[in-house]
Amino acid sequence: MKNCNWFMVTCFMLLFSMATSFAQDKEAKITLTFEKVDSLNVCKALVVSDGVPVKDVSVKLSVKRLYSNLPVGDAIATDSTGVATFEVPQDIPSRNGKLFIFANISDDEVYMNAEASGEVNWGTVVVSDNSNVKERSISAGRNAAPIYFIVSSLLVIGLVWGFLIYAVLQVFKIKRLGSAN
Amino acid sequence: MSIDKAESVKYETFTQEEYMIMKDDLLRPIEKIGIGAKIWIGFLTAVFLAGVFAYYLQETRGKYVTTGLRDYTTWGVYISNFLFLVALSLSSVFMSAILRLTNFQWYRPLSRIADVISLSSITMAGICIMISMGRADRLHHLFIYGRIQSPIIWDIIVVATYFVACVLVLFIALIPSLSTCKNHLHNLPKWQLKMYDILSFGWEGNAEQWKVLKKTVLILTVLIIPLGIALRTVSAWLFSTTLRPEWDSTNFGAYFVSGSALITVATMVIAVYAFRKIYNLENYLTEMHFDKLGQAMVLMGFIYAYFNINEYLVPAYKMSGLHENHLLDLFVGEEALFYWSVVFFGIAVPSILPLFRKMRKPLPLSIIALAVLIAGWFKFYLIVIPGQAHPLLPIQDVPETWKHYTPSLIELTIVAATIAGTLLLVTVFSKFFPIISVWEVAEGKLEGKEEIINYK
Repeated sequence: MKNCNWFMVTCFMLLFSMATSFAQDKEAKITLTFEKVDSLNVCKALVVSDGVPVKDVSVKLSVKRLYSNLPVGDAIATDSTGVATFEVPQDIPSRNGKLFIFANISDDEVYMNAEASGEVNWGTVVVSDNSNVKERSISAGRNAAPIYFIVSSLLVIGLVWGFLIYAVLQVFKIKRLGSAN
Repeated sequence: MSIDKAESVKYETFTQEEYMIMKDDLLRPIEKIGIGAKIWIGFLTAVFLAGVFAYYLQETRGKYVTTGLRDYTTWGVYISNFLFLVALSLSSVFMSAILRLTNFQWYRPLSRIADVISLSSITMAGICIMISMGRADRLHHLFIYGRIQSPIIWDIIVVATYFVACVLVLFIALIPSLSTCKNHLHNLPKWQLKMYDILSFGWEGNAEQWKVLKKTVLILTVLIIPLGIALRTVSAWLFSTTLRPEWDSTNFGAYFVSGSALITVATMVIAVYAFRKIYNLENYLTEMHFDKLGQAMVLMGFIYAYFNINEYLVPAYKMSGLHENHLLDLFVGEEALFYWSVVFFGIAVPSILPLFRKMRKPLPLSIIALAVLIAGWFKFYLIVIPGQAHPLLPIQDVPETWKHYTPSLIELTIVAATIAGTLLLVTVFSKFFPIISVWEVAEGKLEGKEEIINYK
């Protein structure tokens, strides 16, 4: 009986994996379009399969960053026309103003994984003000310590060590005074 | 150089009979080493060598394997022990220099004991930094690549400077005693007598030499006070110049200095008790000293309590989000028993018990002092370690061992070795040099006779 249970479980697993693999067999294609709507950045992802727009498919939008893609909001399902509409934030930093935007379908029950990308001029160019990088400050490197800091430190250190060296010299003076007598 | 004749006569009075008796009493511990002393020195040496071996293991196997230090708790028991040893090293400031400058005559038999403790503990404190760094061979990088704006560099500079100042304060005041050793100790190995001869720097005790010596001792006495305070304050700034909530306090420098004052009084009580008993110095380290030290302990205890109130109760009153985790952990959380024990034994007991005259007798006061020292060590542990378990960004998805720090056996062995090293240096010093300054006590007997002789 126990062996029979194992057999049944294995069969169910096989059937389930076959059903899932056949279910995900359909191909889908994503087409991205970018447009400005009332000063908003709107990205539309049209999902078609066999030339027919498909509805209720979850599409995720993301933007390329240095190491990996940053998700833009939550996944949105396509409407009856096969379009998922996203509002892209206007403050995404970019080096040259361009953003690589990705739309993808993943782990869908019916359609295979699909991805599309497009480049758009919606990035905010970040200008770093590095004009003070060579300025002397407490937080600067060792070669850019503030002058007042260096001078006051050396004065204190010099003063204290001056007294210590004076004390050492006095020891030799004691010796001299002993031998002189 | 013209020397006042009266001054010259005054110095000559050291050769009277009273001085000779005193000299014999104070030099006696150098002439013979008993079996007890040998066992004690052997024990301390064994613990110290165990620490050296533990350090060898740490450096060859790596800190991740041999210590409990992880990504969050990067400053462990080595740093808290460093703070404790730096606190001890202020003995010279609180138990010698300040008393000397303010003309408290009872400082005289204590000054050298305080100076030796200072030198020994600052030596071990310096070693603690190197052990904690992990790569002692790169110590010179601090000077080559260090930033003068960094408190770490200030700490290295001030520790090195204070060490040299301690050597000079101890040595220059020791010169007349070295001459006394050379002239009056005979049953000693030749090398030891030769050492006294070389180190006494041709001391003859003439008026010119006394004048130079006293002036230099005075300058160093004045210098070591701000230097010691700077040492302790910079040690506090290592913490308070960070943005970590538990350390981000403007109170930290004064808080650390006041803690050191209390710890140095406790250390002196124990040291005086030990030397008095072991070397039979009851005539010089009298009950009067315990009485005075007990009073000093109460004063320092209340000052330390005041700074503790500033440090803990003011943030607790506000209980801002950043402080809340740490403070609740200490007051009612998993560190509560530890924290309140430290407050009780380290602050309440020394502030209240020595108010009663019976508690200022040698034995009770020494027991209180021992409790203060142990609590003081753990106080620094509580300052350094629990705070690191509450970083500004929450701890997420890390191994369980990273969240809690427990010192390893290797760390504890090395810490024990630094304490043993401090005791060893003090003990060995007392076996080669007079632990009480003969000339300073003699001078006190002559100048401050009323206060010392007629006390009770």
